[in-house]
Amino acid sequence: MTKSQVSLRGRDILELQGMSVPEMELILDTAREMKNVIDRDIKKVPTLRGKSVVNLFFEPSTRTRTSFELAGKYLGADVVNITTSASSVVKGESLRDTLLTVEAMGVDVIVMRHEAEGSSHYAAKVVKPVIVNAGDGQHEHPTQGLLDMFSIKEKKGSIAGLKVAIIGDILHSRVARSNIWALLKLGAEVRVAGPRTLLPRDMDRMGVQVYDRVEPALEGADVVNILRIQKERQQKGLFPTAREYARLFGINRARLDLAKPDALVLHPGPMNRGLEIAPDVAYSDQSVIQEQVKNGLAIRMAILFLVLMGGTNVETSA
Amino acid sequence: MLKLVLKGGRIIDPAQKIDKVGDVLIEDGVIAKVGGDIDAAGAEVFDARGLVVAPGFIDMHAHLREPGQEAKEDFASGTRAAAAGGFTTVCTMPNTRPAVDDAVLVNGLIRRAELERLVNVKIIGAVTKGQEGKELAEVGDMLQAGAVALSDDGRHVANAKILRTGFEYAGMFGGLIISHAEEASLVEDGFMHEGAVSAMLGLKGRPAVAEDIAVGRDVMLAEYTGGRLHVAHVSTAGAVELIRRAKARGVKVTAEATPHHLTLTDEAVIGYDPATKVNPPLRSQEHVDALVAGLKDGTVDCIATDHAPHAFEEKDVEFRYAPSGFTGLETAVGVVLTGLYHSGKLTLPEVIEKLAAAPARVLGLEAGSLKAGAAADVTVLDPAAEWTVDSAKFYTRGKCTPFEGKRLKGRAVATIVGGRFVMKDGEVCG
Ligand SMILES: [Zn+2]
Repeated sequence: MTKSQVSLRGRDILELQGMSVPEMELILDTAREMKNVIDRDIKKVPTLRGKSVVNLFFEPSTRTRTSFELAGKYLGADVVNITTSASSVVKGESLRDTLLTVEAMGVDVIVMRHEAEGSSHYAAKVVKPVIVNAGDGQHEHPTQGLLDMFSIKEKKGSIAGLKVAIIGDILHSRVARSNIWALLKLGAEVRVAGPRTLLPRDMDRMGVQVYDRVEPALEGADVVNILRIQKERQQKGLFPTAREYARLFGINRARLDLAKPDALVLHPGPMNRGLEIAPDVAYSDQSVIQEQVKNGLAIRMAILFLVLMGGTNVETSA
Repeated sequence: MLKLVLKGGRIIDPAQKIDKVGDVLIEDGVIAKVGGDIDAAGAEVFDARGLVVAPGFIDMHAHLREPGQEAKEDFASGTRAAAAGGFTTVCTMPNTRPAVDDAVLVNGLIRRAELERLVNVKIIGAVTKGQEGKELAEVGDMLQAGAVALSDDGRHVANAKILRTGFEYAGMFGGLIISHAEEASLVEDGFMHEGAVSAMLGLKGRPAVAEDIAVGRDVMLAEYTGGRLHVAHVSTAGAVELIRRAKARGVKVTAEATPHHLTLTDEAVIGYDPATKVNPPLRSQEHVDALVAGLKDGTVDCIATDHAPHAFEEKDVEFRYAPSGFTGLETAVGVVLTGLYHSGKLTLPEVIEKLAAAPARVLGLEAGSLKAGAAADVTVLDPAAEWTVDSAKFYTRGKCTPFEGKRLKGRAVATIVGGRFVMKDGEVCG
């Protein structure tokens, strides 16, 4: 399959595990052009005029929701947000009914964030609009994975051959899973590290190197992807105290120095400064954390464009 | 005198070590003669050439959902499903609403079964009141009322002292305790087998060691008290090994495995189909291999379905919110013949032993054999028949199965209970 034959028109974006390299490359290439749109004075282009996008968020997430919302609006689509924090079961309305209601309104794309793993797969089976997974439980967060690939590629030129360390709560992280699949497909060497209680069992079978200390994972790394630590994990007894986590697993300057001098630092945000990441690391020259936000917008524009308009002739001029 | 002759089939009765081609004569609901060329004058004749004639299959682990959850299943729909699947006896588990935990309920259900049943129904009572694991239920009373075994299925009896008391007390009545073996503290919030696939899917896992720990403890208590333990739906290599060693020491322990744990792995969960969610969960290949080996060497005594029907809307949700379990009575024989017989892992006499003679032996039922004088409960198989699982054609109310659309080889083509056809050519009669 060559890139020119790839089309994402009508394709659900559920996970990076099932996405081909040409498909990923098409999204990354398109995102580069979208980033130029974001940098313009007047950002709005009419490309998706007449198309409608619903952000259906069952879990609050200002960042991701805003990013999708602006992505749709910059491309001229009508964007509606539906945010409901209670699970469908608690509300008494089934996910099927909610999806059918949204579909009945003539929506073209449903961007969905849900606490249950596989919920976007379910949605894709139930309704016709294109489903874009904006995070399903602990499974995947494909647009975050792609924006991280974009950020790495932008700074490093290529991903193949890079040593990438993913640090933190791998067990509960959808970001980790999306990044692992994307990195492996694009030819990187992937190391994951964190306390053993936050590492899934048998994870090495995914093709990554697993460490329960951060130091060997950081050794000579080109990219350090630091994950957010949810403080609830401590209440569940998965690590003793925030203090101990910061001391043993937090990424500070000294630890970062184990990586290559030009190693990039990524973090999906929002950060717990002083817990998983020290402030001097978060704001160092190596950090691309702020750039990731803009890249996320570009990736989401690219995806909305590609699933609605197809894969060739990116036309972003007004 | 009502006479029925099953003509020219391969008669396989492991309890009598019979495996030969011949006729079976049924008179007035009782097996009259097995083998040879029987004069069929004046008798109804069923042409069994090319088919296998076996003692009626017994499912010692099913959920017929009476009382209280008749929207999922009841005795009428459940026994029709059993008949369709080739089962002549089905035992129903007490995790109903309310739980079957006293003799009044046991008596009531036995009477309901007499009215509604198409096949024989046996009642299993709870070990503890309300299956809450806190106080012993009136197990003596239930056993005397006709309960065939005791179980808190759906939950493990977590308190070791209560299970000890249960073994000692039920032991006075020769009672069998069926354990749903799972250390609860290790499986909370778990949705599937913990391993490489759960790591990939991001679904919280239920580790195999949770079952191993529970089986280990239960076996030790059975050994210490001299009680009789049956381990339900064994799913781990560790549990198989613990049971194997306990049997070698003379502990009174038996075990069952389900068709799905014997043939599917956790890879079936990829795609998040709620039809693959079951408790205990589908495990990895090494566990499946250990289960089949345990079945082959007798460590695992029998095959039971754990038939667990749910209403469509309960299963039509996100994976993590779906209840565990699915329908099994109508797929069991096909799945077992496809996955264990046609794959060369078990012979036909072994399959029939696991589905008829062994569960009868475990439960102490007068069934599971074609002995002359026994009630004429017979299952006729066509091991070569190929068919596709289509839940729309099921008799059970539970339409959810991980085998939906699967091509299977082998099925029951006739089910006879007390000398009367309750299923013929896949159609339930009566
Ligand atoms: Zn059970």
